[in-house]
Amino acid sequence: MTRLRYGYGGRLLRVNLTRRTFEIEEIDPGWMKSVIGGRAANTRRLDEELDPGCDPLGPDNPLIFGVGPLTGSLLPASAYYTVTAKSPLTGILGDSAAGGQFGAEMKMTGFDQIIISGRADAWLYLWITDEGVEFIDCPGYAGLGVASTTSSIRKAHRDYSVQVAGIGAAGENEVLYSAIVSSGNRVNGRTGMGAVMGAKRLKAVAVRGKRSLEVADTLGFLEQTRNLERAILEHCEYDKRYRLGTTMLMQDLNGIGILPTNHFQEGVCDYVDEVSGQTLAERYKVKNKACYNCNLHCSRYYVTNEYEAEGPEFETLCSFTSRLGCRDLAFALEMNAVLNQAGLDSISTAEVIGWIMECQEKGLVKPEDLDGLELRWGDTEAVRSTVDMIIHRRDLGDRLAQGATRLSRDFGEEAQKLVMQVKGLDIICGDPRGIKAYGLTYAIASRGADHLRAEPYFELTDLQDEARERFGTEKAAMRMEEEGKAVLVTYSEKIALLTDCLTMCKNIGLCMDILDLENAASLLTAGTGVDYTAASLEEVLGEAVQRDRRLNRRFGIRRADDTLPERFRKESLPTGPTQGSIVDIERMVEEYYRLHGWEDE
Amino acid sequence: MIRVDLSRCTGCRRCEAACAFFHTGRINPELARLKVVHLYETGIDGPVVCQQCEERFCMVCPENALSLGSNGEVICSPTVCTLCGACEKACPIGAVTQFQGFVYICDLCGGDPKCVKACTEKAILFEEGERPSFENIHKATRGMNPQERRHFYLSRLGQKLREEWAARSPAEESQDLDKT
Ligand code: SF4
Ligand code: SF4
Repeated sequence: MTRLRYGYGGRLLRVNLTRRTFEIEEIDPGWMKSVIGGRAANTRRLDEELDPGCDPLGPDNPLIFGVGPLTGSLLPASAYYTVTAKSPLTGILGDSAAGGQFGAEMKMTGFDQIIISGRADAWLYLWITDEGVEFIDCPGYAGLGVASTTSSIRKAHRDYSVQVAGIGAAGENEVLYSAIVSSGNRVNGRTGMGAVMGAKRLKAVAVRGKRSLEVADTLGFLEQTRNLERAILEHCEYDKRYRLGTTMLMQDLNGIGILPTNHFQEGVCDYVDEVSGQTLAERYKVKNKACYNCNLHCSRYYVTNEYEAEGPEFETLCSFTSRLGCRDLAFALEMNAVLNQAGLDSISTAEVIGWIMECQEKGLVKPEDLDGLELRWGDTEAVRSTVDMIIHRRDLGDRLAQGATRLSRDFGEEAQKLVMQVKGLDIICGDPRGIKAYGLTYAIASRGADHLRAEPYFELTDLQDEARERFGTEKAAMRMEEEGKAVLVTYSEKIALLTDCLTMCKNIGLCMDILDLENAASLLTAGTGVDYTAASLEEVLGEAVQRDRRLNRRFGIRRADDTLPERFRKESLPTGPTQGSIVDIERMVEEYYRLHGWEDE
Repeated sequence: MIRVDLSRCTGCRRCEAACAFFHTGRINPELARLKVVHLYETGIDGPVVCQQCEERFCMVCPENALSLGSNGEVICSPTVCTLCGACEKACPIGAVTQFQGFVYICDLCGGDPKCVKACTEKAILFEEGERPSFENIHKATRGMNPQERRHFYLSRLGQKLREEWAARSPAEESQDLDKT
C-alpha cells in the first residue's frame, strides 16, 4: 500500500508557532500500521521527536493532537482525540483524551496528527482547515472562558460547525495541572496539557474540515458497527448509565466502601445521598448530552440557580464533595462549571486542597506557612476562593499552582507522605484498598496514578467462573484479592490502549466490555483496508506498552516509582465494606513485571 | 415532514452521520441534508432541517430546478440546476446548502427517513403537522449566511426550552429525594 486511503486521513500537520509556519506531510502507512492511531501514535511521535531533557514549558516540547483511523465514523462513540506532550506537572509522559465533537471535526480536516512546536510571540489561535493553518492573533481573548472563546471564534469566521479546543485563565497562567477544554465542557484534564498550550501562547486550536471519510468495506463496516450498537443498547447497564453517566459511581463506590472521603481517610460518606448522581439527576439535570455518534448519551446538562454546564463526570463530582468533605451538591456543580471554563483539572485541584486540609487537621502544615490560609473539611467558601487564587496564580495561588507533590516539598516528610500521588500525578477518586487491580493500575500506569490505562472493571463483576477461564483464578473477579490482578491488568491495559487507539469511549469499549481484539480487528480491517488480525493487534499493543515504558525510563522512571502512597499500603480504612484491607502492591507489581518479562531494574 | 423535539436532542449527530452515509456512502457532515448545531453556551443542541415552510422561500429558483414531491419535500434536479445559489440564499433557516457541485435539501429519503431511525432519543420525528411561517425569521436573518441562519434559528427555538428549564427551579422542588 502506498498511502492510507480509507479511515485514516493519511496526513500529518506540523505547526511551528515561533516562525508561524506549517508543513503538511504524508504519513507512512507502515509507520501508522504499527501504532494503529490515537494515543499509541502520539506516544510514538513523542518518543521519536522529543528531547527528554527539554523544559516541558519551553518551545521544544511538542504538543501533539491525534485522532484514530475510525474517529468520527459510524463506529459508536468514536469521538475522542488525545493530546500528548511531556508533562509539566510530572516531568514524564503526559497525555489526556477528551470526547465531544472536536475529534470528529479534526478528522474531517484529513490530519491524523497535528504537532505543534515553538512558542508564539503573542497570544494567538490556530485556524486549521483541510488546506492548512492560519495564525490568528487574539489579544482580546485573554482571560476568556472556553465557551466564550469558542463562540468568539465561530462568530469571527461566521461558521458554527467549527470546533475549538482551548485554554482558560488557568492555562494562560501555566498552572501545572491546567486543562485543554473543547465542545464547551469536554476536558483533556490530566497531566497539565493546558499549561503546555499556555506556555506556547496558544489560546485555542480551531478545526473545520470538509473532507469525507470513506471506509474500505462499506457494508461490512456498517454491519459491524450495528452489532456494536446493539450490544450497547442491550447492555444491562444501559438505563443506569443513560440516566446518571459516570456519576452513578458516587453511590456504587460508597456502597463498597471506597468513596474517597476527607482525602482518603474514609471510604464511606454518610451524606452521599445528598451529593449522589441520583440526586443530581433529579434536581438539576435538564437533558442528556452525547459525544459524536454515541447511542448511549451518558453525558448530561444541568442548570442550577446560578450555574449551568455539561457534566459533571464522577471524578469532578467526588473531588468537590466527599473528597473535600463538602456536602453541598450545588457547590460541586458550580466548581464543575468554573473549572471547565478556566480549564483546570478537578482531580489535581482537589488533591492540593484536600492535602492541605488533612495536613492542617494533623498540624503538619500551619496556616502561617500558607499566608494564613485555613482550609477545613467542607468549607466551601474557602475552597471557592482558593480555586480562584490558583486559576489566577494570585498570591498563594502561585505556590498551589505547582500541584500537591511539589508544594509538599516545602514541608516535612510526614506531610509529603500524605500526598496521594504516583509519579507526581494525583490519584483519582477510588480508594485502591477495595479495588486491588485498580491499585496496581495506579502504580504502573505510564502517565502516573491513573485508572484509564487499564480500567480493570472486571474485578468488580464477581464473575468467578469467567475469571477462572480468562485469567486463571476466580480471584481476578474479586475486588479485595491481589491474586490474578496482574494477569487481569496485562490484559485490560491492552484493551484500554486499543480503545485509545480507536479513540472510542472507554466506558463503552472497556467498562461495558463491548470491544475485544477480534471485533476490533475486523472493524479496523473493514474500516481502513489495512489487514489487522487479533494477533497483529496484540503485537502492536504489546509493543506500545513497552514503548511507554522505554520512554518513561528516559525520563528517569524506575521500578521503585511503581508503587502507591504509604496510606494504601499500611493503613486500613476505619469503617465500611472495605474496612481492614490494605494493598500488597509489591506482590502485584512483581507479578506484573514477571508477566512482562521485565527485569527489576 | 421532519420535526425536532429539542428537549430530547443530545447533539450526538447520529442523524447527520446516517444521512450522509446512506445518501453517499461517505461520512461528512457537509454531505448531510440536515445539520446539527451545538450551542455550547446554552446547552441547546439540535438538527436544522427543512420545515416545509408555508412561504417556500427556496422555490425562487430561476432555472426551475426545484419541485415539490408527494410528501411536500423539495426536490432539486441536478441536471437542470446550475448551482446559482439562489435557493441556498433564500432559505431563512439555512436548510439548503450547496457543497461540491450539489444542492443538499432534505428529501425525506423517499418517505423513510434514515435520521429518524438513527436517533435513539426520539428527538426526530416523521409526522404530519402544520407548516410553519418563516416570515419573521426571514426578516431577522437577512444578510446572514446559512451557518448563521441555522445558529439564529436554533437559538430562537432554544429560548423556549431554556425558559422551561429555568422554571423548574431546584430550590422549589421537594426535598424528598430518591434514596436508591
Ligand atoms: S425555504 Fe427552507 S424551510 Fe422553507 S421549504 Fe425551502 S428549504 Fe424548506
Ligand atoms: S440523532 Fe437525535 S439526539 Fe442525536 S443529534 Fe440527531 S436529533 Fe439529536
